[in-house]
Amino acid sequence: MKKNLLLIFGFFYFLSGYGNQIEVCGTCEVTTLRDAIEKAVDGDEIIIQPGVYKEHALEITKSLHITGVGMPVVDGEFKETIFSVKANNFSIKGLKIINVGKSYTKDFAAILVSKSEDFVIHHNEFNNVFFGILVEKSKRGRVENNFVRSESESQANSGNGIHLWHCSKMKVSNNQLTGLRDGIYFEFVKDSEVFGNNSYSNLRYGLHFMFSNDNAYFDNIFRDNGAGVAIMFSKFIKMYDNRFEHNWGTASYGLLLKEIYDAEIERNVFEQNTIGISVDGSTRINYTNNTFSRNGWAVTVIGACYENVFSKNDFLNNALDLSYNSKINTNRFENNYWSEYAGYDLDRNGVGDVPYRPVKLFSYIVHNTPETIILLRSMFVDIINFSEKVSPVFTPDNLIDSNPLMNRIND
Amino acid sequence: MKKVFNTAFAGILFLFFSCDIAPEEINYGTDACSFCKMTIVDQKHAAQYVTIKGKQFKFDAIECMVNDIAENGSQKVGIWLVADFENPGNMVKADNAYYLISKSIKSPMGANLSGFASEETAVSTQMEYGGKLYNWEELLKKFDSGK
Repeated sequence: MKKNLLLIFGFFYFLSGYGNQIEVCGTCEVTTLRDAIEKAVDGDEIIIQPGVYKEHALEITKSLHITGVGMPVVDGEFKETIFSVKANNFSIKGLKIINVGKSYTKDFAAILVSKSEDFVIHHNEFNNVFFGILVEKSKRGRVENNFVRSESESQANSGNGIHLWHCSKMKVSNNQLTGLRDGIYFEFVKDSEVFGNNSYSNLRYGLHFMFSNDNAYFDNIFRDNGAGVAIMFSKFIKMYDNRFEHNWGTASYGLLLKEIYDAEIERNVFEQNTIGISVDGSTRINYTNNTFSRNGWAVTVIGACYENVFSKNDFLNNALDLSYNSKINTNRFENNYWSEYAGYDLDRNGVGDVPYRPVKLFSYIVHNTPETIILLRSMFVDIINFSEKVSPVFTPDNLIDSNPLMNRIND
Repeated sequence: MKKVFNTAFAGILFLFFSCDIAPEEINYGTDACSFCKMTIVDQKHAAQYVTIKGKQFKFDAIECMVNDIAENGSQKVGIWLVADFENPGNMVKADNAYYLISKSIKSPMGANLSGFASEETAVSTQMEYGGKLYNWEELLKKFDSGK
């Protein structure tokens, strides 16, 4: 009997060590989040019952687990940052956080995390935010399954959905982002992953990397953004199994690479973008098993780009496959499938018998005088392209795919 | 007859004045930066110049314009403008403006550089956020030597 009692006591002792629960609701003992956060100690769980809580500037410096039941609403009333967290080992889940303040000097966010480690922000909904989740100088955090939405009419007063600054070992996965400036923005972030996100109808970019090395992004969809993804001044980025769709407009790209080194681009689909990939000053990049379908340009190369390899890609029905502005070429094209290829395969080994020249004379003309694009598909252009094909003068003579494939490879 | 003459005269006048070099408005969200190709979205940090032949160059950040000038020289530039941090969307003459580089005010291309129309607001912003003030010449020099 005495032993049992001890066991029961032991059990309760264990429970209390695990953390108390503080319940917040309209008729509870604790009615505001601020109160609950003040009362809580490290390791406690705050359970928020359904209702509307009009609160902002909530500062959390303890390891708390905040859980919403039935999506309670936290309304910031357009004042300022709503949650600002500086703690290790915390979690925020199941909240609907709305109406973040806007400012042009300060970055107000629905959840601001700074100098924190090992945290999870998941299954929340954000609406009318300036910045959604802003993470600064943090490590090993996860941002998962959130839905961030805003209605940015003009970009002047719009912020980013998930913005990471000076972070490492982060995971951003399965979020939906729309109506923001950039869906996801990585600035000085390393060793991190972005996957399973759906970023659409954002004003600038679906995903944006700046000065961020050793990252990977995969299985994401970028649709109808100002431009799908922009990667700038970064090294060692892996990009695979993403979809870039319908990024249309004069300054629009599926993927923009600017000053990138040592990247892998594999198994992505670029469909109906003004420019599939715009490459500027990027070196040692491998493009493998990608599909470029019905883009204005599949790939445009400007500035100095060296030692890039394009192999086993499908180029399907693009208005122009490649535009290239320099005479020096150290980039290789091998074993790609080009729907424009009109060669033959007499020995039936699946590889065309004559090389394919992806750069057309017309793409040079368009490059220098963009207005000439209206001549595309005209008789005149067919004639100059044909004459260039017969006796090449302008295209670098080593810019060829010597072994073009006869059938598509990536389905 | 007189009417025809007037119309023609007006037309000639229009042609005459339309040759004047003037900065075009920046379409935020659609125009791309001439230097870094990024879409211009930030009304507090945009910059632009027009060459003496009237060609337009637009930038998403003042550092992009300064880097462009460091690369291409400034001989052909007719007008240069930078956004006034205090009045987002307002463009002011670059050579009369004051500049603040402050870690707490981020600019699009990572230089943390903002422009101000008045010295007063530049100084008061510096008091609030810290950082260092520059005038146009000093700024050009700083970016040139950074190369």
